[in-house]
Amino acid sequence: MSGHRIVAITRRLLQGFRRDRRTLALLFVAPIVILGLLGYIMRGSTSAPEVGVANQDSGPLGAIVADGLKSSSHIRATDINAADGDARLKDGSLVAYIVLPSDFSQQAQAGTVAPEVHLEGSQPGEDAPVIQALQQSMISLASRVSGRSVTFQFQVKYLYGGQNYDTLDYFGAAFVGLVVFFLVFVITIVSFLNERSQGTLERLMASPLRRGEIVVGYMLGFTVLALVQAVEVLVFALAILHIHNQGSVFLIFGMEALMAIAAVNLGIFLSMFARSEFQAVQFIPLVVVPQVLLSGIIFPVSTEPKGLQWLSDVLPLTYAVNGMRDIMVKGADVTWPSLQLDAAVVAGFCILLIAAGTATLRRRLG
Amino acid sequence: MSETYAVTVEDVSKSFGSFKALNGVTLRVRQGEIYGLLGPNGAGKTTLIRLICGLLEAHAGTVTVLGQRMPQVAVLRHIGYMTQQAALYPALSVEENVRFFAAINGAEDGVKQALELVQLYERRGSVVATLSGGLRQRCSLACALVHRPELLLLDEPTVGIDPQLRVQFWDSFRRMAAAGTTMIVSSHVMDEADRCQRLGLIQYGRLLAEGSPADIRTQGGSQNLEEAFLALAGRNES
Repeated sequence: MSGHRIVAITRRLLQGFRRDRRTLALLFVAPIVILGLLGYIMRGSTSAPEVGVANQDSGPLGAIVADGLKSSSHIRATDINAADGDARLKDGSLVAYIVLPSDFSQQAQAGTVAPEVHLEGSQPGEDAPVIQALQQSMISLASRVSGRSVTFQFQVKYLYGGQNYDTLDYFGAAFVGLVVFFLVFVITIVSFLNERSQGTLERLMASPLRRGEIVVGYMLGFTVLALVQAVEVLVFALAILHIHNQGSVFLIFGMEALMAIAAVNLGIFLSMFARSEFQAVQFIPLVVVPQVLLSGIIFPVSTEPKGLQWLSDVLPLTYAVNGMRDIMVKGADVTWPSLQLDAAVVAGFCILLIAAGTATLRRRLG
Repeated sequence: MSETYAVTVEDVSKSFGSFKALNGVTLRVRQGEIYGLLGPNGAGKTTLIRLICGLLEAHAGTVTVLGQRMPQVAVLRHIGYMTQQAALYPALSVEENVRFFAAINGAEDGVKQALELVQLYERRGSVVATLSGGLRQRCSLACALVHRPELLLLDEPTVGIDPQLRVQFWDSFRRMAAAGTTMIVSSHVMDEADRCQRLGLIQYGRLLAEGSPADIRTQGGSQNLEEAFLALAGRNES
């Protein structure tokens, strides 16, 4: 081994990077952006889950438990009417509500209490603080019932999901769409860049083809591939992994198709800003990773700091992920306004990108 | 007698930032002639060809092709453009490449004839990625002429190919010109100039001289075309 030759290779490598400012930016800026975002999401979040308390107890002990819940640091509890509970779970303003029945004090005196815990259920992680807060309140209740021990028998009811609903069901619904989005984006950006770098795009531009025809032709070609991939992903997710699905398979497929079309057009648009496949791949951490962190796939948007929630609200992936979860976890159909909004935003993003993709081709004319 | 021009370039200038790629170029190409655009690398030949096929827009002056002022999409179906590098789809076969360019020009019936013209019909099933540079150039030429264009723009078509193939290419060009196709061929190789009917000598974005190879020799005061070019270039610099 010659140290001199090894040093020559090392030096050559570093000299190349010196002139590639974008790669340097990726190496030194992207980690700070990604980790900073992650830290801000995880530490900046102060919002405890919103929980409703319907105290129907005719005796004095229900109020003690209700006060205990309200003073808990695990949740933010407010008084509600039990009749409004399910509607509040559906509109997302509560993650759970607890009903303390009218004979709650009598139950406690008899030694067994059975408060009802109604969980929204679509996010597995959000159950834990609710149960924890309730348990703490019950412990303080037990100390007030003198002379005997009190057993707790929570009656847990789920609006969505259920007892067998697990983390994979929650993440799976989002990942079914994300996998298609991510892979189609990578393939499109590299292929379209090839079209530019191998000179064939110049040839197409000198043909009677209209720019819109190139973009739409590309979109259809990749969409065909993406749809086949979407079918494969869907079958694997539902038949092999048994990911929880309450909705129509056709709706899931439709949402996947929209995500694929968005990914194709994002790839075409961004290929304008890369000069090589190497630079194209750099868009993954810069464009895709922040979207994955902010779109609610891992951390629910409602738990993000307010500033990031605004950012999340303008990212198309947020709506796509929400739509997939609405369909698969909550069984949404086309009549649901939230699903209509999600589909409209993703479709609008597709149209915007088709226009942007076509415009970038025009820019090449100089 | 008034002559019909396939291409008219009038006082055209084009800059890229502060770099002036073309500076007041005027030339006319007659219908059915082989016009050679000669000049060193970086002279402005490719820029001029891109202006003629509407890929670029001039900052000053006009470009008229087949009676239409460029850029004009409708004219493009009558233009064939062979780029400097053999711009092809490497994962497709020869025939698939040619068929694709035929389809976007609405001329799929010309595939066989184009493949035969460049003598690639027997190799039509070969995947382009596996072909040598010369075969790729031939395939690229077939893609440019498959729709039987009235005007063929060939940007350094013979770069990197062997002398035997170069002779074959020029035979093809002559046959097409005889059939009425107008051709603009750019080259920085002087020995190709004699194969053209007329020449435009270009350097630093300016047209130094125009005329038949014999005219250029006379203007440059030398029987050797390369020396004539150098003499004309020297006069322009002084």
